[in-house]
Amino acid sequence: MDYNTYIPKLAKIAQIKEEVGGVRPIKTFRTQFLKNNDFSFKCGQSAMLSVFGKGESMISISSSPLIKDYLQFSILKMGRVTSSLHEMLLGDIIGIRGPYGNGFPVEKWKGKNLIFIGGGIGLAPIWSVLNTALGNRKDYGDLTLIYGARTSKDLVFKEELEELRKKMTVHLSVDVEEPDWKEFVGFVPQNVTDKKPSQKNAITITCGPPIMIKFVIKALEDLGFKDEQIYTTVENKMKCGVGKCGRCNIGMHYVCQDGPVYSWAELKKLPQEY
Amino acid sequence: MEKVLTKKFFPKWVEKLKSYKIYAPVKENEHWSYTNIDDPENIDLDYPLTTLSPKKIIFPQREIFLEFTASNEGGTEVKEILPAEEPSVIFGVKPCEAIALTLTDKVFSGDIKDPYYWKRRNQTTLIGISCNTPPSPNCFCVSVNGSPYSKEGLDILMTDIGDKYYIEILTKKGEKLLNLAKGLFKSPTANDKKNTEQIHIESKKKIKRQIENIKKIPPKLKEMFDSPFWDEESMSCLQCGICTYLCPTCHCFDINDEIASSSPIKGKRIRTWDTCQFPDFTMHSSGHNPRPDKASRLRQRILHKFQYFVDRYQNYQCTGCGRCISFCPVGIDLIKVLDKVSDYGL
Amino acid sequence: MVNLEDLKKEARQILKDGKAKYIIGYKKGANDLMPTPAFITKPEDAEDLVWNPACFHNLTHFLVDEKRRKAKEKEPDERPVGIVVKGCDSRAIITLLQEKFLNREDVYILGVSCENTGVLDEKKLAKKIKGKKVKKVEFDEKNNFIITTPDGKTKIPAEEILAEKCIECKANFPVIYDVLFGEKVERNIDNPFKSLEKIESLPREERWTFWKEQLDKCIRCYACRSVCPMCYCDECVADTINFAVTADTTAEEKAQKIKWVEKSPVSSENFAYHLVRAIHLAGRCIDCGECERACPMDIPIRLLNKKLEKEAKELFDYDAGFDPEQPPLVSCFKDEDPEDFIR
Repeated sequence: MDYNTYIPKLAKIAQIKEEVGGVRPIKTFRTQFLKNNDFSFKCGQSAMLSVFGKGESMISISSSPLIKDYLQFSILKMGRVTSSLHEMLLGDIIGIRGPYGNGFPVEKWKGKNLIFIGGGIGLAPIWSVLNTALGNRKDYGDLTLIYGARTSKDLVFKEELEELRKKMTVHLSVDVEEPDWKEFVGFVPQNVTDKKPSQKNAITITCGPPIMIKFVIKALEDLGFKDEQIYTTVENKMKCGVGKCGRCNIGMHYVCQDGPVYSWAELKKLPQEY
Repeated sequence: MEKVLTKKFFPKWVEKLKSYKIYAPVKENEHWSYTNIDDPENIDLDYPLTTLSPKKIIFPQREIFLEFTASNEGGTEVKEILPAEEPSVIFGVKPCEAIALTLTDKVFSGDIKDPYYWKRRNQTTLIGISCNTPPSPNCFCVSVNGSPYSKEGLDILMTDIGDKYYIEILTKKGEKLLNLAKGLFKSPTANDKKNTEQIHIESKKKIKRQIENIKKIPPKLKEMFDSPFWDEESMSCLQCGICTYLCPTCHCFDINDEIASSSPIKGKRIRTWDTCQFPDFTMHSSGHNPRPDKASRLRQRILHKFQYFVDRYQNYQCTGCGRCISFCPVGIDLIKVLDKVSDYGL
Repeated sequence: MVNLEDLKKEARQILKDGKAKYIIGYKKGANDLMPTPAFITKPEDAEDLVWNPACFHNLTHFLVDEKRRKAKEKEPDERPVGIVVKGCDSRAIITLLQEKFLNREDVYILGVSCENTGVLDEKKLAKKIKGKKVKKVEFDEKNNFIITTPDGKTKIPAEEILAEKCIECKANFPVIYDVLFGEKVERNIDNPFKSLEKIESLPREERWTFWKEQLDKCIRCYACRSVCPMCYCDECVADTINFAVTADTTAEEKAQKIKWVEKSPVSSENFAYHLVRAIHLAGRCIDCGECERACPMDIPIRLLNKKLEKEAKELFDYDAGFDPEQPPLVSCFKDEDPEDFIR
């Protein structure tokens, strides 16, 4: 029988971690397929998660492809499907189909210094490539993370970030002053300007709210980064995930297939409609 | 291979095709549509344009992807529901509608093929009828590389040459249908061939409308992305879905879960047509909408059809059937919009 | 007869004086029969205005667009919008005023009287002229429509090709206006609900079969809803998304929006959509007939609204769209209201 991409494979929720509470909660889920299958993916790809009866949601896989026994998704509670996911308990079953998208061109980046710039939940799509780089450490140059959120409570992967400091340079920030915060206070683009990462032999990968990306790119351009050195991920409403339902297009590109990873050089050429 | 069929034998041919599900244009209260017919006498091949193209038979407005059940005791089960095994024949397909199917074929192929579309596509034989006169006052197939007697995408092309049909068999699928009623068909005479050629040549001349300078349009559209042109043109647009739902080349769809019971959860995942003209088509859950107004949505429809699709598949995503023009409740005319595009800024 | 030049003159003057932002009217369309909505900003463009028996559109729903547009502007232009309306269209403006959706100062109404006729029905015309191409349609003083085809001019008595809604018209001249063009001709309609006679005479099972057949054709293009001036809700029963979503709307609120009607165009959902829409328009629908004209599948949906219009009249003596001070039907009651349905 021909492969039917629309049929999800069943997986159980193996671990739930509350990253951020409050009005905009973020939870990190680790899922394991019920049946062994050859699901393999590249950093930066996403999967369509099914909550049967509610619908589907395209979420980027935040674990590294080097990890074989689970898939990790960090999900912000936003609407019908994500609210359902947030209500799930360990052992609950969801559907997963994919992987979809073009992934980060990690082969091209070998030997380069990688600078990861994230805001809020935006750390999740680049978490996969960050951990892959750490897992293949000798293939890459210096690794730097510049990451911030509204408040310290809104930072994701808090425990992992502390571990990360031992292995690479980590600069954190929060938008406004708060007691006991010793690092940068201000928006992420301002932190980029403050820390002045070098553009020499470097690739930056940035992800976060659209407005943050806009100003991060400006800050990087001011530091001499060329358009080909700046990578980002775009998101759009998606349903099929395979470039057929017509919904997620930016110009002639379907973000689910030709994206979501774009260099600023490529993204500039597309109609600015996202 | 070419044959002729005397008109009075046509119902007899259809009768021999009993193993297939037969679709043909049928009129009910002034409304023409492709319907499943039982009585071959009901087929009238001399008809104007149907409202919905035969795309609805191969890519129906609603189809089931899968069924799911979920309960604490029974666990979760997902069952794929492919279209039924139902070899079908569609009579009276206009050449523009067949070309449209070759365009949707491109969309549903690629690295990942759409199994639902292809199951129906592969089990359907398309029998076209050439347009001796334009079926609609808004036909413009010639402008978009089509023709009233185009064979592209068809398995058989019939031409009405008076008391007979001239039959051109184009594929093995078409040949199979002919072989089921071999005795009814005769070899064409030289006169038959001449008549058909003559009718074809005349039919092309009868097409009244055309797009001026269509080759200028894709590059022009690229320049016009940020132009206020779209605000002006979309002022009277209603944001209904008529132009896109009636279009034989449009393929956008939605996927939703419909539940029949919530405890245990039992339901189906359904694909339905969708349209870029509805405001919620691209609206994110956060409320952010990349296409927040009528101007950007009209721009999307025109650019998708005459620039993006050209960039991706080297074809205009339009076959010139004119339905969007004939049925638009406020009279937005695609040809006039495109003519303004090619003259824009001059 | 309506003097088109007077209409153009008034439109030109209002724009010259800056009394209106722009004028919504009818101008020549891409084909020769149907005019298209015009949005005239420059005084000299008032020359484009037309008035003929094919001015079908109820332009009032563009006032809903205008309100939405204004709401997004930081410093909106507070001047009114000029609008050309027929009798039925003017009743739509009154309904919007009743519901406080519009203020009277928001519109400058150029009322045009249909006098003794109205607009034509395209299908009836096509049958009458047997597929000939129409080059022009005009009114004449003697209640005929003058149709120009490649063969020349034909006079057809208006009543032969009049739109169904015009045959039972309750407002052949605008009931609210700032300027009126044409005469206020009194017309007596002996049966204002004549179009319902046929279907009301059918037994219940046949009526069910009729509507099932008709609504099974529905492709849920929502043209009926889009063309209706009274369907202005940001949160519609038929949609799965609430358009009034802001950055502060919580995930719970979004998750809890009930899917009243599925997107599938199957009998149950089509019935639900059309019947709910008809009930939501009870006491509000003013029978401009646009929903039926816009429908590409030839569904006689006007009859659903007409039936409820009849119920509103018979049960509650309520006529929609005549008195801007009158409260909406479903938000008021009288002591004499029938109570036999309350048990």
